[in-house]
Amino acid sequence: MRLVIGGTAQGKLEYVLLKYGLQENTVWDGVLPEDAKRKEKPVVINHFHQWVRSRMVSGGCPEDEIMSFLDGSEDCIIICDEIGSGIVPIDPFEREYRERVGRILVQLAKRAEEVERIICGIGQKIK
Amino acid sequence: MVLVIGGSGSGKSSYAEETAVSLAQESVREITMKKYYLATMQVFDEEGRDKIDRHRNLRRGKGFFTIEQPTGISCALKKMGDGDRIVLLECISNLTANEMFSEKKTKTKMQVAQDIMQDIKMLKEQTNHLVVVSCNVFEDGIAYDEAATEYIQAMGKINRELAALADRVVEVAAGIPVILK
Repeated sequence: MRLVIGGTAQGKLEYVLLKYGLQENTVWDGVLPEDAKRKEKPVVINHFHQWVRSRMVSGGCPEDEIMSFLDGSEDCIIICDEIGSGIVPIDPFEREYRERVGRILVQLAKRAEEVERIICGIGQKIK
Repeated sequence: MVLVIGGSGSGKSSYAEETAVSLAQESVREITMKKYYLATMQVFDEEGRDKIDRHRNLRRGKGFFTIEQPTGISCALKKMGDGDRIVLLECISNLTANEMFSEKKTKTKMQVAQDIMQDIKMLKEQTNHLVVVSCNVFEDGIAYDEAATEYIQAMGKINRELAALADRVVEVAAGIPVILK
């Protein structure tokens, strides 16, 4: 699995599409592919933070769910915004969301074969 | 002195602890070296207690003496034993908020920044190694009210001065250290 992180609107998806020669219509946006449809390789998941949020809203456990997903699909590129670099939100859900996205990224980065951070469209390989 | 910065949930605390522990191990005076953890967080509710418990569990078994010092951070020096010591200060964002908002709002943002830097210089002089954790609170693009804006500006000033003072500056992203200085 490869992890691509960075601020919003930094060109993360474009960077991935160009680097791996992929088409945008193969990208999963804010969702994980269901088993049966997982034919395209590599699987690209964009806006991963939005998936985390939607799983939290539905009362799921994004930490466990993403790890078991990866057990079945290691050939995967996960693109996620870094959302933790601001003032601590007043709303408890927003606080929890921000922190959980951060901690899930730490776990994903440990598992990833490569981690790239994108700023101004430029990738910096940090692992 | 090492400055460790990062966002929420970035893994900066555990990286800072590892740094303090390895600085102690690398020291020729490892046996006499005492490790102190300066905790700045004030607890108001269950969420705060949970956060502190999580950090305590992270530190467990690493041999840190914990000193609770929510304001006036240099006062912690009086609570330490003499001799060789490594201090891990966590974190500047709480300390700055405590200094700015807990008191009767008598200090300006520049006074707060000056006082904190003066304290940290004192800590640096009186320790073998100082590891300081600070937060990146600058990149959410939200226009806040006057009080929060003053806080962000004070944090920015303190972070810049800390970085200038530090021998090493590390940003932690997704648990990965990115060396800035």
